[in-house]
Amino acid sequence: MELTFQQLVFYGFSTLLLLSALMVILSRNSVKAVMFLVLCFVATSGLWMLLQAEFLAVALVLVYVGAVMVLFLFVVMMLDIDIAARRHGFTKLLPLALLVAIAFLFILHWLVGDNHFGLEQMEAPSDHDASYSNIRELGKMLYTDYFYPFELAAVILLVAMVAAISLTFRGKRSRKSQDIDKQVRVTKADRLRVIKMESSSSSQQTDSKSDEESNENKDKEQDK
Amino acid sequence: MLENYLPILVFIMLGLGLGVGLELVGFILGKNKPDDAKNSPFECGFDAFEDSRSKFDVRFYLVAILFIIFDLEIAFLFPWAVVFNELGWFGVTTMAVFLALLVVGFIYEWKKGALEWE
Repeated sequence: MELTFQQLVFYGFSTLLLLSALMVILSRNSVKAVMFLVLCFVATSGLWMLLQAEFLAVALVLVYVGAVMVLFLFVVMMLDIDIAARRHGFTKLLPLALLVAIAFLFILHWLVGDNHFGLEQMEAPSDHDASYSNIRELGKMLYTDYFYPFELAAVILLVAMVAAISLTFRGKRSRKSQDIDKQVRVTKADRLRVIKMESSSSSQQTDSKSDEESNENKDKEQDK
Repeated sequence: MLENYLPILVFIMLGLGLGVGLELVGFILGKNKPDDAKNSPFECGFDAFEDSRSKFDVRFYLVAILFIIFDLEIAFLFPWAVVFNELGWFGVTTMAVFLALLVVGFIYEWKKGALEWE
């Protein structure tokens, strides 16, 4: 069996993918596990590139490696993981875990095995020439034939946005901070209050009383 | 098509080789005499106050998740921009609806104050 260069690259990326995926579940340090997951995505991107899906390969690096893994790191760092507590009960749950793993393996084989995704069902993509643009083909399909799923994607993103805010947003904080806009826009009336004082002569008692009342009203207004 | 990406593969190999090679050279040629003082965590001369892995504010998470959502939105804009001339008004309307839906979310988070850091 002779290896072509493409096959060599494929086996290289596949090996990298499998090894890093193994390290994700084997490494004790959860931050390291996330880093291996990043490596997984990079290797997958290489495989997608071999399938001639150039835009998806680049988007995988851009979105998953660039953004989603940042989120994963945040989540890992936000959790206070106690390794000793996690190991507790490992042997007790091992049979159940093995059962779930084997069942999962069979389901996976049934779903994406040869009967659905074999070379008979899905042909290997033909080689395109150098001027072929995958992103162009994708754009022509996505915004015309598949516009409805595309709009649904927007709705899902909207739901994700609202969900993230309602789950993690704890309300505005009432911290006292300097608001320069407000300081600049201040007028004389905001800061200065002229109060009529009672004059020393007691001849105009009634007038001054009414003045005082109006001043008090003004004070209340200011307080509001 | 794939031959366009050969330089990237070469770069990956080069980067991998350089990274691993230099590390290896340092590992083989460098002196390695660890002792207790060298292996202890160092923080400006005094003992480390706490574990480097501390819990932090959930607001960082909120900013990260909002970033991801808009990152995805931008990723959808790229193919659209490439075939913009061929799509015609239908494509423009499709993208307008897509953006309008996300602007609803943007206004929501803005008014809610989720973008305020203080």
